[in-house]
Amino acid sequence: MVPSSETPARGAAATLPVKPAGQGDYDEDFNLKPKFATPLARNEREMVMDVRTQDMEMNMGPQHPSTHGVLRLLLRVDGEIVTGAVPYIGYIHRCAEKIGESVEWIQYLPYTDRYDYLAAMNNNLGYSMAVEKLLGIEIPERAMYIRTICAELNRIGSHLIAFGTYGLDLGAFTPFFYSFREREWILSLFEKICGARLTYSYIRIGGVFNDSPPGWLEEVAAFCNDFEEKWKEYNDLLSENSIFVSRTANVGVISVEDALAFGLTGPCLRGSGIAYDLRKAQPYELYNKFEFDIPVGSGRKGTVGDCWDRYDVRMQEMRESVKIVRQCLAGIQEGPTLAKLSAALRVPAGHAYVGIENPRGELGHFVISGGDKKAIRLRVRGPSFCNLSILPKALPGTMLADAVAVIGSIDIVLGEVDR
Amino acid sequence: MISLHVMESIGGQARRAAPGTNWTIDLIEWARKCSLSKWLANAAGYEEAPVPPDWIVAAVGAGIAVGLVLAFISVVAMFSIWLERRVAGRIQSRIGPNRVGPFGLLQSLADGVKLLLKEDIIPSGADRSLFILAPALVMASALGMFAALPMAAGAGFTDLNLGIIFIIAVSSLATIGVIMAGWSSNNKWALYGAMREAAQVVSYEIPLGLSLLVPAVVAGSMNLREITESQSSWSGACWLIFQNPICLPAFVLYFVAALAETKRAPFDLPESESELVAGFHVEYSGIRFSFFFLEEYGAMFIMSALGVALFLGGWNFPGIDVLHGGWLVATQLLVFVIKSLCMILLMIWVRWTLPRLRVDQVMVMSYKYLTPIGLGLVVASAGWEVLVAGGLPFNDRPFWMQAATPALVVFVCLLLGWMLRKQSVDSAAAPFAARSSAPGAIQT
Amino acid sequence: MVAPTHTLKSSGWFNEVWLGFWTALVGMRITLKYFFKKPETVQYPEERMPIPDRYRGIHYLEQEKCIYCFMCARACPVDCISMEAVRHGKELEWVSFTVDYNRCMFCELCTYPCPKDCIHEGKEFALVTYDRRDLVLDLLSWKGMSAEAKQRFEAAEAAKASGAAAKDAPKAGAAPADAPEHS
Repeated sequence: MVPSSETPARGAAATLPVKPAGQGDYDEDFNLKPKFATPLARNEREMVMDVRTQDMEMNMGPQHPSTHGVLRLLLRVDGEIVTGAVPYIGYIHRCAEKIGESVEWIQYLPYTDRYDYLAAMNNNLGYSMAVEKLLGIEIPERAMYIRTICAELNRIGSHLIAFGTYGLDLGAFTPFFYSFREREWILSLFEKICGARLTYSYIRIGGVFNDSPPGWLEEVAAFCNDFEEKWKEYNDLLSENSIFVSRTANVGVISVEDALAFGLTGPCLRGSGIAYDLRKAQPYELYNKFEFDIPVGSGRKGTVGDCWDRYDVRMQEMRESVKIVRQCLAGIQEGPTLAKLSAALRVPAGHAYVGIENPRGELGHFVISGGDKKAIRLRVRGPSFCNLSILPKALPGTMLADAVAVIGSIDIVLGEVDR
Repeated sequence: MISLHVMESIGGQARRAAPGTNWTIDLIEWARKCSLSKWLANAAGYEEAPVPPDWIVAAVGAGIAVGLVLAFISVVAMFSIWLERRVAGRIQSRIGPNRVGPFGLLQSLADGVKLLLKEDIIPSGADRSLFILAPALVMASALGMFAALPMAAGAGFTDLNLGIIFIIAVSSLATIGVIMAGWSSNNKWALYGAMREAAQVVSYEIPLGLSLLVPAVVAGSMNLREITESQSSWSGACWLIFQNPICLPAFVLYFVAALAETKRAPFDLPESESELVAGFHVEYSGIRFSFFFLEEYGAMFIMSALGVALFLGGWNFPGIDVLHGGWLVATQLLVFVIKSLCMILLMIWVRWTLPRLRVDQVMVMSYKYLTPIGLGLVVASAGWEVLVAGGLPFNDRPFWMQAATPALVVFVCLLLGWMLRKQSVDSAAAPFAARSSAPGAIQT
Repeated sequence: MVAPTHTLKSSGWFNEVWLGFWTALVGMRITLKYFFKKPETVQYPEERMPIPDRYRGIHYLEQEKCIYCFMCARACPVDCISMEAVRHGKELEWVSFTVDYNRCMFCELCTYPCPKDCIHEGKEFALVTYDRRDLVLDLLSWKGMSAEAKQRFEAAEAAKASGAAAKDAPKAGAAPADAPEHS
């Protein structure tokens, strides 16, 4: 990942006292040394407990209901307590980046849908912006508004899944269905504007494919009103529930130092208390026009950086997204939605990195162009992949049921981890 | 109606002899005299069919009783499964099974047929005998609990003086089956489920037993029939929760402990699907799996029925005493089953609302909260009976004392309803002066 | 054993009991509310969700417009469109125009470069077969030449023949056939 020279310094991260963390936590084979709860050595344990016990190794996944896809976790467990965890990934690797080097610029767009399939609009946006940076073209303002509306609606949709599946991980089934009910509305909105429900390929290089159909913006406004009501219900049903709080508060605490050292971004980083959001830190598109807050973990129910905080950041972000969408609806004007581009797109030679705020964190696209119809090199910095790396650090010391809670709170999409 | 007469005669005879001896003798007499038996006896050279020995009589009686219970438990369990799926559907803004039969009522039957026809897999590494025995043991405990259940006046299998203790004791048998299943499956997830079940059931027997002591204290008996009969005044509305103000919290406590005993959410740790995939029955398939399934819902019904018998008046219902004879028994049976199903409905409602507790929190819940509460309630109910009511039988107490408890119960329900009107948790929480420290957010 | 201690911020025993009870009640109020509301589900085969106009389903081809230019096939990222036709002068004799739905990802990139705006994605979405080979669909509504094209072609041939017979004759007969069919 080579940030281009225009990238402003990450103000938030730079001012924080960063310790060189994670140095002594692994042995030479990258296996974890248990940190949070140090189990007794075997002979010690035999003396204390008068029985001979042994850590057990368990495969959690790739077919497990709570690993959110085909993640395989090799857990070392001492009874109910996890003493070590190694994630194994790559079960749905599809060579997306390599494909990017063999198809034309615009043809790569459908492939971006498929890594973080819960936030395809954001993926489209990230890739398009990277290519646009090389092209150096102006995007029409209406296109930018529509892009922002779609990206924020998609953020709500993605966080709704995070909310619903988190309830599911912790044994509450009903929030899942409620969240899908609202998500359904978002999907039907997307279906109306671009014709697809999951893999949109809607935001393209130079703007968006179609203008919004008549009545669409009004329906978005109606959705925003309805969603705010439903959002309160979610909190009553799950966020404040005593059992839910006791399952998530003080569980899987990720310290600020760890969060920075492991390169966490998105709600996982903000849950640890750092207000770092690319929409504010490096405002792209129209984000510096809008007023919105960056929710951070407050430790309201437990410690800063626990599962509840990460969950809560997502819940608050949904409301902030609604705020942004409302401001977009107020500001949108008639106009063209696509910049003038030649049919056979040739991108000037050079390289560019653009990171945008995906629902899961910083989604970066690094493209190198040789001035041809295809990219020479295309590389994706996936937020889920980086966020996943904290698991070996965060899981030891928690219980088996907490492992599920921690994985759920990090909210990975395996399609994007493996790409 | 035939089965009702049978049930009635079971209950009538139960006190004198082993369950169902007399009507079994009648049945066998009838069978001896029917023409087929005569023809067979003549063909074999006898004057008439021989009188069978006692053990055959006992075996036939027991067989018929088990058949009745099995049929009843299967029907109730299938209905509960249907109820659960429909209620869950409606709660979650969807419809639930609606294709097989009217309102999908036959869905459970279809699923049962499917399970019967599926391959019965025994894993190669499994301990075969234990693996096969476990579902049978689990099922046996569900059947056994029915023995002490007073379903209607005079219609029960036995009339045990220690009915409460018997039901708790037999319900623990299922735990052994679950541990056997978890151990013999040779699967780590199943083993986890079994260990969790063992710990959970052992812990929750304490608050369960304590909560059951409250009705025993109030009614002055451990006999389920007698406790139910003590709730029959006021023409059948004098339920135990209206007799003593302590019985309402005791009922809530019983309900929570019963959820844990029957492995229902939020205590469904032994089979928690998001952690242990399916827990102790992860390796079971086909008919053996359906045994676990039936047992879960059968145990749910029995735990509900026990709560109904102890706290909610059993078969008593206002105005039921105008009926007589067979109609009375039939209506009582119906009232009892409907009340139990209502409690099952409550269990379902809770399950589809709450998340699951963690394994240590389940223990904390039992030992830190429920057990002290249970102890307090036992002492408080005894105190009320002795100090406030002066040890008088309920019907001899002054009117204000009889009316105080229903008034209190109604007031508490109205108060909670009023508080729940539009309340969101944020503003309603912590009436007991929470000592929360200031949030320490790191903002940059 | 060292067990992790996951205690909440203690707010007192009574408060914890009350919170557990109360938050459960609040949750149950919400689930009860939806119990009495109409379900949101649609009974699929009988009822169907309305499909918006822009829906990206199975393609349809306006064959009379198509000029066999390969723009759609070239735009496809997965090379799922293949077409075959024989040019007879200005007329096309269609052999096949297939889309391999084993590969197609319904990205609609094929429809934008079309100069005649003749390939679209429709509202059909059910692609259910017992055999993967059945997923290679032919979009043509007729094979060979269309009736009009045949007429035009024969007229042009006849004109050519008569033109060949009388070289000095003007090309008046061929002019209408040469006129572009699509503006």
